Amino acid sequence: MKKKMSAHEKKRRVKYFFVHVGIIIFAGICVYPLLRIFSISLRPGDKLFSTDLSLIPAGASFTAYRSLLKDTMFLRWLWNSLVITLATSLIGVSLASTAAYAFSRFRFPGKKAGLILLLSSQMIPAGMLILPLFLMIMKLKLMNTYLGMIIAYSVSSLPFSIWILKGYYDTIPRSLEEAALVDGTSQVGAFWRIILPLSTPALSIAFLFNFTTAWNEYLVARVVLFSAKQYTWTLGLFELQGQYITQWGMFAAGSMLVTIPVLCVFLYSSKWLISGLTLGSVKG
Amino acid sequence: MEILKSIYEVLWFIFLIAAGVAALEGYFYYHFRYWERGWFFPVALAAFPAAALVLSGSVLGDYTFRLWFYFLLAEAVISAAFRYMVKGRHTVPYLLLAPAFVGLALLLVYPFVFEVLLSFHDLKLTTIMMWKNTGSLPFVGLSQYVKVFTTSPLSEITFWALLLRTLVWTFTNVFFHVAGGFALALLLNNQIRFKGVYRTLLVIPWAMPQVVAVLAMRGEFHSQNGFVNIVLVKLASAFPFLAHLGLGPVQWLSDYPLATCMLINVWLGIPFMMVVILGGLQSISSSYYDAADIDGASYLQKLRYITLPLIRPVLMPAITLGTVWTFNNINVIYLVTGQSGGTEQADILVSALYKAAFTYNRYSYSAAFAIVVFAMLFFISVFYLKSFDAAKDER
Repeated sequence: MKKKMSAHEKKRRVKYFFVHVGIIIFAGICVYPLLRIFSISLRPGDKLFSTDLSLIPAGASFTAYRSLLKDTMFLRWLWNSLVITLATSLIGVSLASTAAYAFSRFRFPGKKAGLILLLSSQMIPAGMLILPLFLMIMKLKLMNTYLGMIIAYSVSSLPFSIWILKGYYDTIPRSLEEAALVDGTSQVGAFWRIILPLSTPALSIAFLFNFTTAWNEYLVARVVLFSAKQYTWTLGLFELQGQYITQWGMFAAGSMLVTIPVLCVFLYSSKWLISGLTLGSVKG
Repeated sequence: MEILKSIYEVLWFIFLIAAGVAALEGYFYYHFRYWERGWFFPVALAAFPAAALVLSGSVLGDYTFRLWFYFLLAEAVISAAFRYMVKGRHTVPYLLLAPAFVGLALLLVYPFVFEVLLSFHDLKLTTIMMWKNTGSLPFVGLSQYVKVFTTSPLSEITFWALLLRTLVWTFTNVFFHVAGGFALALLLNNQIRFKGVYRTLLVIPWAMPQVVAVLAMRGEFHSQNGFVNIVLVKLASAFPFLAHLGLGPVQWLSDYPLATCMLINVWLGIPFMMVVILGGLQSISSSYYDAADIDGASYLQKLRYITLPLIRPVLMPAITLGTVWTFNNINVIYLVTGQSGGTEQADILVSALYKAAFTYNRYSYSAAFAIVVFAMLFFISVFYLKSFDAAKDER
């Protein structure tokens, strides 16, 4: 008996060894480009185009970072992005949270039509609505401003957020609110005091989704923003990488500075993200 | 100082939004609450059109009688609907929905309708000044739609070639996303050490800002100092027989732009599928597998008869979403090929659409194009969702 166990154990060990090897290879493929950006950002100016593959290049220095912060408006671009993105996500999540509650808990004429509208809005090809939005923003005299960008972004992830939040609300038992209603709260009070606090994970997912969509957007930004001072970081980096190949080092440095915080936030919230993405669909 | 100014700007904007939402709620509340009263119509018709005129005038800068008349008509229709159809029912859900749906109507439905109208007219670089000055555009009926199918959106490639390429692009990508994601999820679903670390590392392509990821990968495919070619050159010099077989540096971006975009997009898309499938795998109770073990089922049999059917409800929506996202993926192709003239060899429908509008300034044409693409996407997803519903009924 004992001998058999160890044979089994041995087989398991071998299997797990290959599992580890397989995962490590894939993980390498996933991480390597990021490490490469890091190594390029450290390269001294005269070695930018070397075919060296080592991670910490010879003569590593932070000159690229220094010149990025000093010679370009990178910090300003980051700030612009942050302001636009935070405002957009706040608006998006608050609108979505109430709308999703209506879809989750009430029956009313037009419910199905509304849900179909939300779904079909996902089929609108990228770039289709940019021209009308652009004309609208021009008409409102909001070109090249934060407000114009926030208006253009604010509803873009609304349908998806409503969808996610509805899926989450559906899993919260109705009896909780019914108890509150019996105790004399209004329906809105029950939503505010019971449902919202309970759905913090889903709200964070929706916020994160809104945040990343707006944070990474550049097609609309390219049309609405035209002075370098108002650029978002996407436009700024695009410019650094596009026009002069000599700014490759600065591009890499900027990429690192943008990626690290996003990566931290994402990895921190990834557990919620996963549960939120699968939850609604398992329930069907 | 500038920071203070922008904070002030944003706070002001959030205040505006809040005030707008409050006004909207008040407006609907009036209709829900007082629809039976005798003074319902007079007050509504006197107050709301005037308020709307003041508001729109302060934004757009013109107060015309005509505008007021339109507002009056709209208000008459709305309040009649509330009095004779809605009758104060369903107040709470409609009030909850109002802000989101008014936002969607203004910023999603209205632009969409605008594009539909635009596709029947002729707005391009030569007519745009006329439109700006006189406000009128030549009406051309369906001819923009005919042009979509007969002329090239860019300089030479046809609609049909683009369609074919888009289908190839979508199916190849989604196939590799699902296959790769499934393989990695199966690997990760073992009881192994460092699982959390591995998962973290594996989602990095998804977590990185897409612009950074794509631009960085684009650099890696550069013909001289990109990582891919450096490795190819090193391999060829280390193993001469490989070089004889034709292995060597490849001009990725100029010779194989579509393949490059696909490689990059596969790299980007696998983590999402992996995460979704892993979630599905973890929700499968191990008792199924124990039972199968007792019956002596092989690994492949377990995969085929237990794992696949049970993750189907998670997989189908993810594939539908993935298909739509890939079909609609303008980021990768535009960022890789879009700058400095760029090549047409990698364009799919949506990137051609964007270029037709903003590089070639053919606005009406691109509107018609967009509506054709929208219709196609719509049918694809209806088909998918139908098959998903059918699968649900089977369970």
